[in-house]
Amino acid sequence: MKRRIWLVAALGAFLLTAGLTQSNLTGRLVYNSNQSDPKPRALDAKIVEAFKKKYPNLQMEFNTVDHETFQDTSIRTYLASDNPPDVLTWFAGNRMRAFSSRGLAADITDVWKSNNWEKVYPKGFQALSKDASGKYVFVPVSYYWWAMYYRKDIFNKLGLKEPKTWDEFLAVCKKLKDAGYTPIVNAAKETWPQGGWFDFLDMRVNGPAFHKDLTDGKIAYTDARVKKVFTYWRQLVDNKYLLENPAAYTWQDAANLMIQGKGAMYLMGDFLRDQYPDDREAAELDFFRFPIIDPKVPIGEEAPTDGYFIPAKAKNLANAKAFLSFLGSKEVAEMAAQDVGRLPVRNDVDVKTLFKDKPHIQKGIALLADADDILQFYDRDTVPEMARLGMDGFVKFLSNPTQADAILADLENQRKRIFGQQ
Amino acid sequence: MQTAPRPSRNPRMAASLYQARWLVVFLGLPLLLYSVWVIYPFVRTFTLAFASYDGLSPAQWIGWQNFREMFQAEAFRLALWHNLIWILIFITVPTSAGLGLAMVLNQGVRFDRFLKIAYYLPLVLAPVVTAMVWGWIYHPQQGLLNTVIAGFLGILKAVGFDVNPEEARNIGWLGDPKLALISVIGAAVWRQVGYVMVLYLAGLKTLDSEVLEAAKVDGAEGWTLFRHMIFPMLAPVTTVVVVISIVDSLRSFDLVNVMTNGGPFNSSEVLANYMVKTAFHDYRQGYAAAVAVILFLITFVFTLIYLRQVMQQEERNT
Repeated sequence: MKRRIWLVAALGAFLLTAGLTQSNLTGRLVYNSNQSDPKPRALDAKIVEAFKKKYPNLQMEFNTVDHETFQDTSIRTYLASDNPPDVLTWFAGNRMRAFSSRGLAADITDVWKSNNWEKVYPKGFQALSKDASGKYVFVPVSYYWWAMYYRKDIFNKLGLKEPKTWDEFLAVCKKLKDAGYTPIVNAAKETWPQGGWFDFLDMRVNGPAFHKDLTDGKIAYTDARVKKVFTYWRQLVDNKYLLENPAAYTWQDAANLMIQGKGAMYLMGDFLRDQYPDDREAAELDFFRFPIIDPKVPIGEEAPTDGYFIPAKAKNLANAKAFLSFLGSKEVAEMAAQDVGRLPVRNDVDVKTLFKDKPHIQKGIALLADADDILQFYDRDTVPEMARLGMDGFVKFLSNPTQADAILADLENQRKRIFGQQ
Repeated sequence: MQTAPRPSRNPRMAASLYQARWLVVFLGLPLLLYSVWVIYPFVRTFTLAFASYDGLSPAQWIGWQNFREMFQAEAFRLALWHNLIWILIFITVPTSAGLGLAMVLNQGVRFDRFLKIAYYLPLVLAPVVTAMVWGWIYHPQQGLLNTVIAGFLGILKAVGFDVNPEEARNIGWLGDPKLALISVIGAAVWRQVGYVMVLYLAGLKTLDSEVLEAAKVDGAEGWTLFRHMIFPMLAPVTTVVVVISIVDSLRSFDLVNVMTNGGPFNSSEVLANYMVKTAFHDYRQGYAAAVAVILFLITFVFTLIYLRQVMQQEERNT
C-alpha cells in the first residue's frame, strides 16, 4: 500500500517534470522564412521574439531568404538535404502538393487535432492543408486578395466611377488615356503579374471551375474558350491601355509609376499596399473587383494563401510542432492582422473590430465573401514548369498580340508533354 | 661489427619508394578534394543527363530522351544562337577596344596609371553589381541612358526639330525583345574591355624593343609599324584573348540572370541560364544536366585550343 503511494507520487513527479519540459522546450529549432519585404520581415522577427520569450531555453535559428530565391532554389536544397530546417514558409495549393505527394512534408495531423483547429479554420482552408491521403501537412495562416487597384484621386479628378462591367472598364481606360495617363500599369520583368491577368480574364470569361481544370492540365490551351480569353486581353493591348514594354519593369517599378501619378490602375495583390507611401495611402489607393465580362459566369477571385510546413526529415520535430502551434494561434493571427493588415485564416479572430479603422480590409473581406469560388494563383495552381512556360507565353503575347494562336499552340505542346509525364 | 647490407633492397628502388610515399602524401589531399569536387560531379552530370530526375525523388534512366527533347525545344535553340551572337561580339568588340586602349596607354600618355585603373575597375566589381548598376542605367523611366537620350532630344527640339523628348522614356532596353540581348551584351562588353586591355598591356611589355627600334630605323611608323610589326608579335596574346573571350561568353550567366533572367520570353536567354532555370525552377535536373553536357562539349573544344597555345608558349620559353 505504502509502496503504491510512492509509485503514484513518483509518477506524479515524473508527469510534472514532463509537463514542465514540455512548456519549456530545449534543443534547437531552425526556422527559414521567405518574408523578405520590410514590413512582413519585421512582423516575422516579432513573432520569433515572442516565441523565444515563451521558450527561453530553446536555441532558435531564424533565417530570411529573398522570396524569389526561396521559392526557386532554396526550398529544394532544403528538402533534398538530410538536415533541413525544421519549419519553412510555403504556399497552399499545387506548390504544397508537389512536396506532400513526394513524401517531403511531415504529418502534422496531431498539431491540428491538439489545437482544435478544425473548429476555427474554415473548411476550404482545411482542404488546402491536407495531402492526397487526407493527412494534414500545412498550416495556412494568412491570405490576401488580388483586385484592380486604382488611384482614387485621379478617378475623382476625372469624374470616373469604379467600373463594374467590361464595357465600363474600357470606357474608364479610354478617359484615362485621353487625359494623358497610362490607364493600367503593368510589370513583366518577373512574369507572375501576367499570371494574374490570365487568371482573372479566364475566370470572367469561362468561370473558375473551367480555370481550375485548365491549371490542372485537363483542358487544351488551344481550346476555343481559351482563345476567347485572349480576344479580351487584346482589346487592352491594341488600345494601348496597358503600360508598354512591361518586361522592362519589376512589379515595384510599375507600382512606382502609379505612386508618381503616371499610371492609374494596377492589377495586383494587396501587398501593393506595403509598397505605397503610408501617408498617401488612405487618400489615394483603392480597389475594385475585376470587371465582370459575362454576368452568367460564377465569380471567381484570387486569394493566395500562405502558411508553414515541417519537412519530413526535420531533426527537431517536437520543437517544430510547438512552433507551428504558435504560428497558427489566435495570438499570432491578431498580431499579423494588426501589423501588416493580413487577413487571418482563423474565423475566431474578430476582423470587424481589429480592422475597424481600415475600411479597405472590410472591403477586401466583402470582395472574397461575395465570390463563388476562390483560387490560389496561376503559378500556385499549376505545376511549376507549366507556370513558367505559360507566363512566358503571356508576356510574349503582350509584345505580339497578333500571335496569340501560335503562342497557345506552343503552350498546348508543352502541356501535353508536362502533364503526360505525371 | 658492421651489419651486412640487406641483399634484397636495391638503394635506387628504396629511394623511389621513399619518393612515392611523399608523392602520395603531397598529392593525396589535393587529388581527394579534386575527385570530390570536380571529378565526381563531372561524372554524375554525364550520367544524370540520361535520366529524368526532379532532385527530390529517385532518378530514372531515360536514354537519349533529354537530348532529343532539347534539340526540339525553341528555348534551347534560341539560347544556343544567343551564345553564338555573344561569342561573335566578344571576339571583336572588346578585343579591338582593349587592344586600342592598350596601345594608347602604352605610349605613356598623361595620367596613364589612373586611366589604366579606371578601365580595369569594372572587372573588380562583382558581376551581380555590374548587372544591377546597368539595370538601373537601362531603366526606361528613371534610367541614365534614356535620360541622356531625352536630354539630347530636348536640345534638338529647342533648335526646332519635331521630336518629343518624352518618347525616349518608352525605350525598354531590357524589356524590348529586340533590344534585351544586345543591351545585356553591352554591359558585358563594358566589363570585358578592361580585362583585354590588361592582357595586351602585359603583352606589349614583353615585345623586344630592339626589334621595334630596328623597324623604326627602317622607317616603319604609325599604322605600318602596328600592322606589320607589333600586331604579329602580339599573336600569342591575341590567341589567348580570343579564346578567353569565347570561353567567357559561353560562361555568360550572372549578367543575364540578374538583368533579364533570359526574358522577355527567351529573347536574351543563354545556355547557362536556361540550364539553371530548368534545373531549379522546373525540377528537371536530368534535362538540365543534358544542357550542361552540351555546354561542356562546346567549351571543351575552345579550352583545348587555349591549353595547346599556352603549352606551346611554355615550351618556347624553356
